[in-house]
Parts: sequence; structure tokens; C-alpha cells
Amino acid sequence: MKHFKHMQASSADEAANEAKNGTAWVMAGGTDLLGTLKDEIFPEYPECVIDLKTIPDMDGIAEEGDALRIGALAKLADVAESDLVKTHAAALAQAAGRVASPTIRHMGTLGGNICQMHRCWYFRVPDDRFHCKRKGGATCPARIGDNRYHSIFGDDNGCFASSSHDTAPALVALGATVVTTKREVPAEEFFGAHGHRSNVLEDGEVVKEFRVPKAAKSAFQKFALRKSIDFPVANCAVAQTADGATRVVLGGVHPAPWRSREAEEAVAGGVTADAAEAAGEAAVSVARPLGKNAYKVDIARTLVKRTLMDIAG
Amino acid sequence: MSNVSRRDFFKAGGLAGIAAGVAGLGIGSVLGVPEEAVAQTVTVTDFVYTCPVCGSKTTDYDSLVKHFEEAHPDASCGIPQCATLTINGNELKVQVEPQWTLRETLLRATDLHGGTKEMCDRGGCGSCTVLIDGVPALACTTLAVQCEGKVIETSEGIAADERYRPLVEAYAKADAAQCGYCTPGQFTVAKYIIEKYGEPTEEQIREELAGNICRCGTYSRHVQAITEAAAAMKGGN
Repeated sequence: MKHFKHMQASSADEAANEAKNGTAWVMAGGTDLLGTLKDEIFPEYPECVIDLKTIPDMDGIAEEGDALRIGALAKLADVAESDLVKTHAAALAQAAGRVASPTIRHMGTLGGNICQMHRCWYFRVPDDRFHCKRKGGATCPARIGDNRYHSIFGDDNGCFASSSHDTAPALVALGATVVTTKREVPAEEFFGAHGHRSNVLEDGEVVKEFRVPKAAKSAFQKFALRKSIDFPVANCAVAQTADGATRVVLGGVHPAPWRSREAEEAVAGGVTADAAEAAGEAAVSVARPLGKNAYKVDIARTLVKRTLMDIAG
Repeated sequence: MSNVSRRDFFKAGGLAGIAAGVAGLGIGSVLGVPEEAVAQTVTVTDFVYTCPVCGSKTTDYDSLVKHFEEAHPDASCGIPQCATLTINGNELKVQVEPQWTLRETLLRATDLHGGTKEMCDRGGCGSCTVLIDGVPALACTTLAVQCEGKVIETSEGIAADERYRPLVEAYAKADAAQCGYCTPGQFTVAKYIIEKYGEPTEEQIREELAGNICRCGTYSRHVQAITEAAAAMKGGN
């Protein structure tokens, strides 16, 4: 890695303030950022890396009324094994438990997982050899290049990457709110292809915590080529509130988690085997696969069906 | 045991006999337990900073920073700093640059060269796994400066720990190292598994070892070794 200065933050606001001019980058578990710095995937390089892990009391998991409050620095392993999360936000616990490998789950945080950059291989290529749309280039190379792991639901700001965070669809399905140092953003509006970032954060903005409404039932499933240490080809989270409203969210199929209103309509009358199958069909009815990823449509269809069946009955 | 070579150490073990001694040597060298390595890691109190560009030495950090900024404004390395790391029970003061990973630091600034392997260097393989405060962590994606005040254990330290001798022997007996490159990482997680579960089931071992990749495919031998070692350690206690 090229050199940078290192700073230990004592509060989220301090970190945000230091990072506001864009030359200092914040780091939680570091499992994503350090890799990007080693590969120098961006034309820019930070002068300073701010360690967020030294901030006290930002990794708690607590119950507050009809929601859970989860600190951004909560380790993925802790989220996956927390009884509170397992009981009230099962999809999130399952999703956190499927991220990468056990070791990385001990290092990586929930805030870091949702802020990780896209895993597009053009975006991630070392030394910025594909100056893609996200870095100010003219086009997205995945559009005509090898796009087997890319979006099947079109682009976001011209980028065809697929969201690779496992916990993102769970947070969107559960209707969570992302609390940053500046504002509160619904998880549904948080993600997307924005410059280097996979979310709407600005320079000098740090995720502080998540507020996750309790769901009566929720579930998560992931399809990846390997069981461990792999990003999703596609994943799916569904959540049902006490009044029976069901949210269906796919990940790995669009630059942001893809909430499928079509699938939600199909299961509006209750989740049954037939409705789940119809929901799978409905979810992919609007898919627009690229040249090499039509196979992902089949995976997405089946994932929606199977994940819904986890909460059926 | 600083004056005892591993060969003598294993021979003196008696119980395991010469065969296990030789096998233990094999696994010991694979695990990167160099003779007297653990004993050589001594505590330094008066820290001397060495300029990484010109090699000039000083004990005063401020004058190092001043020297660095004046003499080497375009240096391609960062301004070094002193990090106090507790590695295998020894408190070490080492000179690190802020961007050095723990794996890089173990290689460059300590004499623990064998155990924490570099393979993918991106957190994807588990070869560089160490225990930080008792929990597995990837040394290639952890900055050394973040490890201050934390307890770091490497495979060398675990292998030199008398309590974990059954694990070393079980690894040798099960022939869990084939080419041996991934073994230190797996071995480190093995300690965590035994600490966490006592007597782990096969499913628990496979789940916890899921972050460690072995291209020789020795996975089932790790399961065997850890199961046997856990049983032996339980019996021994």
C-alpha cells in the first residue's frame, strides 16, 4: 500500500469533520477499504485514513420500543448471533451470518458492510485500468464486456454493477432507517451508484446506527458460487409486518437492492406456495438481463420463491 | 525452553516418543516455529527510530518527523511511528509505518517470519489468520497501528504453548499439513475453535474453518486433528 496517515477517531462527529474535505477516508473493519487501497483502484488516494473502531459505544444492539437499534460498528458476527436480532429481524441475522467468512465476520461491521464499494470487476480492476463511468469515464465497460455478475434490472446513473452487500436487502426489506451524522435516511433510499460510493453518503458523513423495526416474520437466502468467502450472485430478503404486508427485496441484481413491487403484489393476499411461485415470476417479469447474465434471472426467480416459502404459513 | 531446540524438546517429551518427535518437527517447521524465535522477541524500552529513507537514528519522535519532512519531502513511505504490540505474550516496541498491515509488520519488524503467510493479501484465503484478543482476524487486512493494546497470538505462539501440544501432535498425526502453506492459519483458528467449543462437533469445526482455503484439500484432516486434540485436551484437564 502507498502510505497514508492514520488517525483514531474518538467520536463519529469528529471523524465526519475530519473527512469533510474528501482527503481523509473513514474505515471501520477495513476488510473492503484496505483491499481497494492495495489495488489502487481509484485515481485518488487518501492522505489520511480515519479508524472508526476506536469510537466507543457505537457497536451496541438494543431494543427500543418496536424497533432495534444497532450501532454501525456492531460486528457482523455479533449481529448474526444476537438473540434480539434473530428474534425480531431474522432476515438481518441470517444475512449477516452469510457475509464472507467467519473470520471476516469477526472483523467487518454492519455499517461497513452496507458502505462497501461495488464488486464490479471493471470498477475494481487494479490501477484504474478501466476508467469506468463511476470514476468519471464515458461508459460502463460491463455493458458490452463480460457482465455475467452484473445487473439484470438496468443501470443506476449509467452503472451496471450489482450490489454485493448481503445485509442491504435485509435492511431494506425490514424497512430500516440509516442514521448518519447528518440525517436519517430510509434504507430503501440509501443505496445506489454514486461516484465511488455505493450509497448516498457525502464527504464528511459517517453512518452512526441503524433503526430496524421489528418484523413478525422475515427471511434471507443467498446464492453464491461458494458457501463461504463469496459475494452473492443474487440474494433475497423478505419481511412481513404484523398486519401481513410483505416486502420482497433482491440483492446482487442491480446497483442498489431491488425492491420488487411486482412480487409484493403477488403475495399481498398471503404467502402460500402458489403465491410465492407467482411472486418469483412477477419479480423477474421486468428483468432486462445483459448479454451474459440471463442465468441470473432464473436464480432470482427461484430465490424469491424459496425465501418467501421460508415465511409461508 | 530458550536453550532447548525443538528437536530436543520433542525428544525430551518422552511420551510421544521419537516418531511423534520427528513428525512434530515437521509440523513445527511448517507452523513456522523457528528455534528460539519466541525467546528472541525481547522487550525494548528505549526506542530508537530509524529513518526508513536514509537510516539515520534518533530516540526523539518529534525530531524524526522534522527530519523526515525536511530531508525527504517526496519519500514514498510514510512517517514511521512506534507501535507497542503484544505478540505471543511478549510486549514488543516496533517501528511501523501507518499503512503497514499486521502481516507486513510481523514479517518486517519482528522475527516471526514463518507463521503468518501472505497468500491473497485481500482477506480472501485465511492464510494470514492470527488471533487478536482471542478472536481470529486476518493480519493482511488489519493495520498494525490498530493492534496497539491488543493481544496478538500467532501460530508460533500457540505451537510453543505447552497446553496446545496435543493440537500440534494431532496435526502431525493426522497429517493435516500437505504443502503446509495454509496450515498456520488453520491452526490458529483451531485454537479458537477449541477455546470456544471445548469439544466441537464436525459441523462446528467446518463452519469455523470456512474462511481458510486449502488448495491441497486437507479439510477433513483438520477436522480429525481438531477433534482428537480437543478430546485429548479435555481428557488432560
